[in-house]
Amino acid sequence: MGLPKILLWIFGGCHRRPGRPGRPLMSGWRTAVRSRLRSPVALDFSILAVVWPALLRGALVTIELTFLVLLFATPAGVGVALLARARVRGVRRAVMVASWVMRGVPPLLVLFLMFFGLPVIGYRVSPLPSAVMAMTLYMAFYFGEVFRAGLDSVPDGQWRAAKALGLSPARTLFRIILPQTIPAALPPYISHATEVLKGTALAASVAVPELTSAAKQVFVVTYRPFEILIAAAAIYALIDAVFIGVQALGERWARRRRPAR
Amino acid sequence: MSLTEIVTPYLPGLLSGFLMTLWLSAAVILVSTPLALLLALLRDSHNFWLRLPATVYVTIFRMVPALIVLFFAFYALPQLGLRLKPVTAAILGMVAVGAAYMSEDIRGGLQAIDRGQWKAARALGLSHAHTLRRIILPQALPLVVPPYMTRAIIMMKGTSLASMVAVGDLTAEAVRASSITYQPFIFIILAGAVYLAISAALVIFQHWAEARLKPAPMARRRV
Repeated sequence: MGLPKILLWIFGGCHRRPGRPGRPLMSGWRTAVRSRLRSPVALDFSILAVVWPALLRGALVTIELTFLVLLFATPAGVGVALLARARVRGVRRAVMVASWVMRGVPPLLVLFLMFFGLPVIGYRVSPLPSAVMAMTLYMAFYFGEVFRAGLDSVPDGQWRAAKALGLSPARTLFRIILPQTIPAALPPYISHATEVLKGTALAASVAVPELTSAAKQVFVVTYRPFEILIAAAAIYALIDAVFIGVQALGERWARRRRPAR
Repeated sequence: MSLTEIVTPYLPGLLSGFLMTLWLSAAVILVSTPLALLLALLRDSHNFWLRLPATVYVTIFRMVPALIVLFFAFYALPQLGLRLKPVTAAILGMVAVGAAYMSEDIRGGLQAIDRGQWKAARALGLSHAHTLRRIILPQALPLVVPPYMTRAIIMMKGTSLASMVAVGDLTAEAVRASSITYQPFIFIILAGAVYLAISAALVIFQHWAEARLKPAPMARRRV
């Protein structure tokens, strides 16, 4: 296995301390760090000054992809949650099975299935829409779970009360029920939204020019994977930080609002 | 051309991919677990200088896509003089990410144990390590198992990422076969079914472990 190699790399050179042979392994860690920093492959972040336009373009595609998936998967998730509570037993069963399958297979396989499968059945779509479709398909079931928990937090009596008041089912859903699910559903919703953002990196595998694949294209040419991957990771962390900020705000808001009992 | 005729030539490849996926999953889950426990304990430590690096580590690795970390292990470490085989790099990257997520799941269980138990054990003169091993962990274990197993299943699914760094796992073999034969539905759905079977096996293990842990002697928690 590679473990000895990794350990040797971390601690290698520790014993090479000038003038003091035979010291214990850890004693020369300063020497080891110094020799590593002075190695011929010293890091040079000035490469970013050259490649930033490519990374920026990739980051924009990543944001676009995240936005589109959230745009389509959110209503789809509400739909899945409603179908999971449908009165017909067969529908409930079907949704349960589909949800189990979609949450049990790797997202990467769903992406590949869309990418390779759609052309075979006669739909020629470019990589970005096929990635959006694949990610929407499996995120819908994750969001479905989120909204199901949200719907469960609203007592069933409210449906009956709204019916007694003569409201249509659609009106009840949009004006009475859904607004009340927000406090319970918002925190998990946003944490799933950050999963969508991180999941968009997978689209690199099906030739979508998003941030990860842009980074790869750039470092393959410049031979500077370390600096460029750090920069890409920093961009992801930055976008993530926006979501986390929204989550903190949302949780504070949700604490103040609980559904009526 | 019948189904068996299409699939047969690729069965050896798919089988080796399946074994690779099993090996990756086992290695990643088993190596991550002690690291995650260590991270969880460090994050709850009273010492700020122990808490800080653990918190920074977990935050960073939870904010960055796993694929970036995998690319880092595979492409960037050689730049620092560490050249690893694809499988080793994949395991290293997935352990780095998985341990960060798993430590959060374990920490949730540890925090559910009443702080008073630490104080009581201390009052009885037990050492920190002894308290942890004999008092806290046995009580936290039943609480940790469900989120831990959910995480283990996510990590098992996540091993499909290894196909992006030239590891011949089940996903890589299925994609290779489907791009040669133009039969994506057969091979990718077959691979999906195998992943489902592995996760079903893990769920069965989870139920077994939960049932097994239930009658364990536990101090009553106030709910």
